[in-house]
Amino acid sequence: MNIEKVVDRAYYWVDEKAKRTSLLFARKLSRRHFLSRIGVMVAGATAFPLLPVSRSFAQNSVSEIGDPQSCDYWRYCAMSGTLCTCCGGTYTSCPPGSEASPITWVGTCRNPVDGLDYLMSYNDCCGKSVCSRCGCHNTEGDRPVYFNSNSNTVLWCFGTENTSYHCTVSIILGTAD
Amino acid sequence: MFSREFFTTYVTLFLLLQGSSVFAQLPPEEMSIETMPTPGANWFISKTSNGGYIFDAVSGQMQGLLSLSRYTPAVTHLDSRKEFYAAESYLARGVHGERTDIVAIYDFENLSPVDEVIIPNHMARLAVRTHLALTNNGRHLAVLNMNPNHSISIVDVEDRVFVYEISTPGCAVTMPVGENDLLQVCGDGTLQLIQLDASGYETKRVRSKVFFDVIEDPIFDRVSRSKEGWFLITHAGNIFEVRTEGEEIIIEDGWGLHSETDWRPGARNEVIASHEDLGLVYVIMHEGAVDTHHVNGNEIWIYDATTKTRIHRMKLDSPAGSIMVTQEDEPKLIVAAQGVDVYNALTFAHERTIETPEAQNFEDF
Repeated sequence: MNIEKVVDRAYYWVDEKAKRTSLLFARKLSRRHFLSRIGVMVAGATAFPLLPVSRSFAQNSVSEIGDPQSCDYWRYCAMSGTLCTCCGGTYTSCPPGSEASPITWVGTCRNPVDGLDYLMSYNDCCGKSVCSRCGCHNTEGDRPVYFNSNSNTVLWCFGTENTSYHCTVSIILGTAD
Repeated sequence: MFSREFFTTYVTLFLLLQGSSVFAQLPPEEMSIETMPTPGANWFISKTSNGGYIFDAVSGQMQGLLSLSRYTPAVTHLDSRKEFYAAESYLARGVHGERTDIVAIYDFENLSPVDEVIIPNHMARLAVRTHLALTNNGRHLAVLNMNPNHSISIVDVEDRVFVYEISTPGCAVTMPVGENDLLQVCGDGTLQLIQLDASGYETKRVRSKVFFDVIEDPIFDRVSRSKEGWFLITHAGNIFEVRTEGEEIIIEDGWGLHSETDWRPGARNEVIASHEDLGLVYVIMHEGAVDTHHVNGNEIWIYDATTKTRIHRMKLDSPAGSIMVTQEDEPKLIVAAQGVDVYNALTFAHERTIETPEAQNFEDF
């Protein structure tokens, strides 16, 4: 899955949340009440930082250090599976002929270069035999399968034409703080 | 005078003729196929990604193999029908092509597939023992799904039909309770009871109080049966015994495994096992930090659940990734390490190591 699709999904999520919240306000609040509150919200808005996703993509790139083919690489703190960097892909791209799963699990990893915590999306690449090179199983923040958004045990080849697992990439969604 | 060539030819002919006369006295052997004998005490299935290897824990001998899909979560059995049940997932061309998820039924005698039921292509395809559960009345098989939302496929193993798919958002793990009910662990820190009618349809759904925090100290998605319910264990090592009475979910007070805060439960697969009648609980342990719950442990700690006290620390030569205890009067502790190690579950003495591909979980039968 490429970065554009991740961004699209993030925007879609924000849009949906905003729509639902607006509808909720519209149902529950009178117009006078709404106007009195909106002034406070506008004034206070400047105190809030921009969304983490927006801030992240405002940067051109992240400075990194280490070997992306090693399980110790900072992006892989909650990684489980085979590293696509060892299988003809990179840490953001699937190997040739495989399919990127749009549905992922997430983790938070600290970049040793800038000391910032980054929200990571781990996307499986699917539709080929398991690569079985550079196996990696880190469990920082990992949770059981009943809490599947934070579970790296799950096979995440959902929403793809072929559901066999090949390898996993790790994509930065933004800073976590 | 014989030449050397003539002598060699003579000797060769002599030996050949001698040999022929010997073979002429033996009837030719015939190839045959074994059938499974009646299962003995302490037989168990070692479920691997290559299938289910059936072993006799007493002799260490392999009895046969259940060929299963590589995505099969577990295999279970029903003595009264002399059948094994496994959830399986296949792709038409091996790694691509049309997917078909099934519940396969195998017979005891030949370990052969005798029937199958097609289920929705939603099974979670993870090697977790409780992603497959036969209700206590032996009628309905529950297969845990992830698509990626959680659900359960119910199959009537007697009528060989798929009944329906129950949506269970935020909950996983399938623990048979009562006659025909299932208990689950949920991400909001509760348990969920789903009661089925005789046809396998949901009749009642009950949620427990919140009793754990999935972020601070989650319950493992690996559990073990107790005499009246199930033992659950948290990442920090607190054990809860849970059971049901009708529509009520009962959660006993948790008890800590130990005072050594640097020791934690952990294993790649089944981290906890128990002997139901004796009330003994076995937990794979290691020394490690928070979030090392998938590190295979180099000790097994044994607890008496009645007194809630540790009775033994068992050191292992190789780290353990999965355990199971057979339920006989002379139980065996089955440990997946380098091969499968068999221990006396009461004296903790090592009895043998069985060579087998990496075991993910075990089934006692």
